[in-house]
Amino acid sequence: MPNNSKRITSLDVLLLAAISGGLIWFAYHIVTQLNYSWDWSAAPGYIARFDKSSQQWKAGLLLQGLIVTLRLSIWSVFSALIIGTIMGIWRTSPRPLLRMISGSYVGLIRNIPPLVLIFIFYFFLGDQIMRATGITELSYSLNDKTSPVLNVLFGSVEQLPAFLSGVITMSLFEGAYITEIIRAGIESIEEEQWEASAALGFNRRNQLIHIILPQAFSRCLPPLAGQFISTIKDSSIVSIISIQELTFAGQELMSATYKTFEIWTVVIFLYFALTFPCSIAVRALEKKMNKQKNL
Amino acid sequence: MTLWRTVNIGIAAVIMIVGLSSAVWAGDARLELSKDSTLETVLKHKTLRVGFSTFKPWAMKDKDGQFIGFEIDVAKRLASEMGVEVRFIPTKWDGIIPALLTGKFDIIIGGMGITPQRNLKVNFSDPYEFTGMAIVANKAVAPDKSSLKEFNMASTKVSVRLGTTAEKAAKNFLPKADIRKFSDEAASIQELLNGKVACLIASNPLPANLVKKYPEKLYLPLQSDFTQEPIGFAVRKGDPDFLNFLNNWIKVTNAQGWLEARFNYWFKTDDWKSLVE
Repeated sequence: MPNNSKRITSLDVLLLAAISGGLIWFAYHIVTQLNYSWDWSAAPGYIARFDKSSQQWKAGLLLQGLIVTLRLSIWSVFSALIIGTIMGIWRTSPRPLLRMISGSYVGLIRNIPPLVLIFIFYFFLGDQIMRATGITELSYSLNDKTSPVLNVLFGSVEQLPAFLSGVITMSLFEGAYITEIIRAGIESIEEEQWEASAALGFNRRNQLIHIILPQAFSRCLPPLAGQFISTIKDSSIVSIISIQELTFAGQELMSATYKTFEIWTVVIFLYFALTFPCSIAVRALEKKMNKQKNL
Repeated sequence: MTLWRTVNIGIAAVIMIVGLSSAVWAGDARLELSKDSTLETVLKHKTLRVGFSTFKPWAMKDKDGQFIGFEIDVAKRLASEMGVEVRFIPTKWDGIIPALLTGKFDIIIGGMGITPQRNLKVNFSDPYEFTGMAIVANKAVAPDKSSLKEFNMASTKVSVRLGTTAEKAAKNFLPKADIRKFSDEAASIQELLNGKVACLIASNPLPANLVKKYPEKLYLPLQSDFTQEPIGFAVRKGDPDFLNFLNNWIKVTNAQGWLEARFNYWFKTDDWKSLVE
């Protein structure tokens, strides 16, 4: 039986003192030992600033990067979920061919370092796909003003081919992890559920749609949420193929201003601002689902 | 026997057709070459895609996220004289040559020094600018030095940016020194400021600007640049048409004095500082 009373014990005080002591020592070390002249004056401007000539607020360079990160993460999460669900169902399929396809997909993707995968895809496969689907041609014929909708959904047209190959690699990569999460969810559903639904005359497809997947998804939610948050952070890896997301924007800014630590700090803060609300939302969702279960 | 003859005649016919068509292809080779030229692609799409890496003051972003800098001016003028739009594709420096080769953009205009090794992979235009390597040292770690020789020791740590000509210069001029490579300029500078390395080798005006910014920590051991490096446009190999256009553009623009004026504005004045900070 866990102790739920909210009393402050001496151990708590000691722990708090130790942690804050550590933090202060760390801060002191940074300020004194590091040969670095801190200059925070320009930092707010990296997020947003008021443009006097046009009399309106404008997004700073890092906020622009954050928006690209957000776009990238949403598309990647969305398509990784689709890939993961299909592959997860195939992983548990009675057909050996489907099991083999999804098994080799997971085995292949999960065992390649993401950095290598992204390079291979970007330099060798990405181009072929973009050319074959006509997206490269499309990106020439459009410009930012012709399609505001496309601009909101995918960012600037100039970046479209690179952005899409980033999204595809990210979703392939994250999809492999989601596959295993979904598989675990499906396999955790009791045999009786399958038998009972079979007895009701459902075929396998309907069994999955109506009985198994809804239960499996609710069990998968915590690891899935973790995977989504990690997707947001992992998206920083596509900065190596020069997609202008938050990390890339930060590095660009650093090579222009040399304010390394200030910019990294703002970048950390922005990533946190993106992922922390996700954590809270997931916790709320889980609470709601647990309540429904208990009813 | 009829079957045998039919097959024989068939094979002979195929050989003749292939032979003839290859002769036709050979005749069209020049036409094909000019049709495949990047110049044609650029004119057809009315867009010049320019690859570069952020490198102050060659190319950087201003406060609004617009690209500015010497190379940006050069690229804009080049595109406007071709009558096409310019599209800027910022790329990480260590991956910029593979990105050019795989067609992510048409040309590198990014302060790229001409080196034989790079030239094996890409074609360079004539130089349109020259830049020199300079050395900036930490006063606490390596005090009172005034020649390259004094840095050429196994105990001296030197920081450079990965894949730049500074890396080559460090290897050539300081073969004994312990060379540390960083993929980002900012990281290499931070190592110098923290005293983890004795000196930094980079192309001017960075060393001079650093000393201006941290006069109590850093100094310039040498009074002048120790190399003189030609800077050229890099394009994919096997494209004489594009190269010919670029070389002549450089000659004409140089003759007008425009390149020198822009270079002086970005490298010798601080008039643009307020755009960035």
